[in-house]
Amino acid sequence: MSNLFVRKATGMVRSWSVFDAFVYAFFSINIVTLGFYSFSQMYFFGGGMINSLVLSAIFLIFEIIVYASLIAVMPRSGGDYVWMTRIFGGGIGFILAITGWWFTLWLWTPIYGDMLRQFVLTPLLGVLGQKDLALWFSGKGTPLFVSTLIAITFVSIVIALGMKTYARVQKYSFYAGMLGLLIVIVLLFTGSHDSFKAGYDANATALFGSPAGAYDATVQAGTDAGATTPLTGGTLNLIFLTLPWLVFFNLWPNWGATLYGEVRGATDYKRNFSGMAWALGSVTVLGIIFFIGVARTIGWDFYMQSNGAWWNYAWAYVTEKPPLPVWPYPALLAVFLTSSKFIQVLVILLMSFWWFGWAGTLFLSSTRVIFAAAFDRLLPEKVAELNKNGTPINAMLLMVLPAILVSYLYAYNVGAAPDGTGGFYTATLAATQGIAIMYFGTAIAAIVLPYKKKELFEASPIAQMKVFGIPLISIAGVIFAGFLGFLLVEWMFDPWLNTSGEGAGLYGISFKNTNSIIFLVVCYVLSAAIYYGFKSYRKKGGIDLDKVQAEIPVE
Amino acid sequence: MRPIRQVYSTTVSFIGGVTNVIKSSSKTVANYFPGGIIGEIISGTTSASHPKTKDLHVTTIFFATDIHGSDICWSKFLNAGKFYGADQLVLGGDMTGKAVIPFIHQGGNNYRITLLEQVFDITNEEELADLKKRVRSRGYYPYMTNPDEIAELEKDPARVSRIFLAEVLKVVQQWMDLADKKLEGTGMQVYCSPGNDDMDEVDDVIRSSKRVLLVEGQVSSLDGHEMIASGWSNITPWATHREENEEQLAVRYEAMISRLKDPQNAIFNIHVPPYKSGLDEAPELDKDLRPVLAGNSMTPVGSTALRAAIEKVQPLVTLHGHIHEGRGTTRIGKTLCINPGSMYEQGTLLGALVSLGRKKIENYVLTTG
Repeated sequence: MSNLFVRKATGMVRSWSVFDAFVYAFFSINIVTLGFYSFSQMYFFGGGMINSLVLSAIFLIFEIIVYASLIAVMPRSGGDYVWMTRIFGGGIGFILAITGWWFTLWLWTPIYGDMLRQFVLTPLLGVLGQKDLALWFSGKGTPLFVSTLIAITFVSIVIALGMKTYARVQKYSFYAGMLGLLIVIVLLFTGSHDSFKAGYDANATALFGSPAGAYDATVQAGTDAGATTPLTGGTLNLIFLTLPWLVFFNLWPNWGATLYGEVRGATDYKRNFSGMAWALGSVTVLGIIFFIGVARTIGWDFYMQSNGAWWNYAWAYVTEKPPLPVWPYPALLAVFLTSSKFIQVLVILLMSFWWFGWAGTLFLSSTRVIFAAAFDRLLPEKVAELNKNGTPINAMLLMVLPAILVSYLYAYNVGAAPDGTGGFYTATLAATQGIAIMYFGTAIAAIVLPYKKKELFEASPIAQMKVFGIPLISIAGVIFAGFLGFLLVEWMFDPWLNTSGEGAGLYGISFKNTNSIIFLVVCYVLSAAIYYGFKSYRKKGGIDLDKVQAEIPVE
Repeated sequence: MRPIRQVYSTTVSFIGGVTNVIKSSSKTVANYFPGGIIGEIISGTTSASHPKTKDLHVTTIFFATDIHGSDICWSKFLNAGKFYGADQLVLGGDMTGKAVIPFIHQGGNNYRITLLEQVFDITNEEELADLKKRVRSRGYYPYMTNPDEIAELEKDPARVSRIFLAEVLKVVQQWMDLADKKLEGTGMQVYCSPGNDDMDEVDDVIRSSKRVLLVEGQVSSLDGHEMIASGWSNITPWATHREENEEQLAVRYEAMISRLKDPQNAIFNIHVPPYKSGLDEAPELDKDLRPVLAGNSMTPVGSTALRAAIEKVQPLVTLHGHIHEGRGTTRIGKTLCINPGSMYEQGTLLGALVSLGRKKIENYVLTTG
């Protein structure tokens, strides 16, 4: 029986493909770039990696419910910025979203640059026989800065190409990257530990000039570094303490979700939810398969020891380079299982698509937020200008120029102690922290939405989604906000700092890390200054920005 | 090309509202013609009747578009002049809704309604009134029916179309009545040019209004600033009511532009945005009208003819809609182009306030009301 008569009208489109939505969410919680990178840094935890992965996914389901619900109520509205502004009013949405979607991305820039060299440049040059250049790119300071500049150039080209082209690049990258990952998994599940050990010793020496016996030396260096993280197990407390680092990898299934399109009913809410939830589930399962493959052939202890050996050096706890003088990229370790140069090059090339297909996300969301702020007259009109080719040159400069400055601070580890420890390089997790704070604001907005915007909620496709009479969006918002609150507290008051606030700390971005704190404070002060400065400036020019955001009376 | 049916020329000016959001430096109220369409009705594109000109002072217009049948948005639009302190109200096209929601009688006070794929079983008058309001707030039309009629309607698409049209016209008539009531004595009128989604029959209903002026194809004057207006769009995949190819659009635009006395000081109120302006980015669709790549692939769908006209004429400001997600502003040469976007289904009125001075824009801002 008919329940709706529609007519032909502009925008009456069919539902988008859940698979396409899945691809974007899957790419956003990138198992390779974000996953391999953060897994490798997590060598000193007590919670089992598989347990932590599963537990984090359980919490992140509620993030997906929150975002799928907000999209259903306010689709295509511009995401966190508009949601918070509409629900809270005033400057909260601006300050949190500008910091989260724009300023924090400056700090992501050198991290993308670091990943470019670790995932693409160094391993590719290594397997191609360019040992000296490969080793140079793995070094500190200038090599990281150069790699970051290359990354910035690539991402700028992506912006210039526009979403239509880049969306396709992403999809093709998904297939290429998946093929590469499949080969890596096959290598891990068909090889033996003995053949890996032999391959490690041979290739470390041949490709990167390691002295003989690199495997044993790595075991020793990793043990000295305190590599302890188990594959499974650990107390619940230790597993929970692992999560604040792990979310660097998987806090982002909602990335790009605001673009999923017009939501016309409860089915579209479910499609939105499914796209993100399947991605989170698939990545979690893929992560577990990867871990088991690593444990089977590389050896779990050795994997963690090689990670510890590298990061202990990279973070300047030791000055001596590790036996394998490059980051132990799991795909690189996997191709040590084969003597075929062709397969080695092919796998590293295919795996590089995980970076190229994902890197555009660095500036794309930032550009959107800059535009939204300019349209609200909270930035000069000039920043939203397009050149003749439709490229937002000025918005890009607002991303690129500060990003270069932050990349310089990061690459040369400004603020490090005389022994090289600390410094800007340890502020990596602040990149997650800034966005988590914005998500926290969005989660609170989700909790209050059904009550503060009752009519809007009641006329939405999720009006009937309630549990014991309480809107599902509010319940999910409470759980997600609680999870984020836990992360924020753990990051700020690091449990591994002793009672005097001294010690190494688990996450490196506590109140003791002045670089991280200063960066975040500067970001928030800057966004507040922009908001209140422009508000005052516009008022002098005759525009009351509070009023243009206020609801017009209906009666 | 369909004929350009009527071309008016008007001269009106209005007293500003109480609370200014954009402050105007000075205003004149000379040449105030209440209810006033003046000038001659001309046909086709043969004649140019220039608006009566007057001293140019700052005047503030409020522009909104694509409200698609939302009662809330229409009420807010009528209140926006006073709320923001605007002098003139301009409504872009696409004022009619996209769906009829059957309220299926189940006996007694019971009705079954499916809204946004959620089934509501109504058991009393209060719930019925509340749900009707919810349906109207999203721009849909409630239709009281019963299971037998629904069964017949499923076999008779022509009858469904007739019901659709009747519901649309009924609401447009209600809107005109409300406008006449609310704007009476305010000095404000609404300049309206129906969009590509609006049926032709809507025009006659608008013509019946005292306070809403049908300005499709006309050169109007807003406090001395000439405005051309058209709701016609380039070809869409939906074969809507007012669309034509780029060559025909170029002729349509030229017919109005040629009658402008001061083109560089004019307003172009054209429903479709200019091509590749950033205001025309819509999700790319496949042949089945399914967004490709989960809506992540955005593509420009604006009018090339309009872009060429703007580049050539360089009017003061252009006002657009059509692409709901294309909210923004941009410049094409010296011309400020605005698409305030649309969130009609959320009951939020997106708009733009523009203060126009002598040959320049004094100020502008996008609004979220």
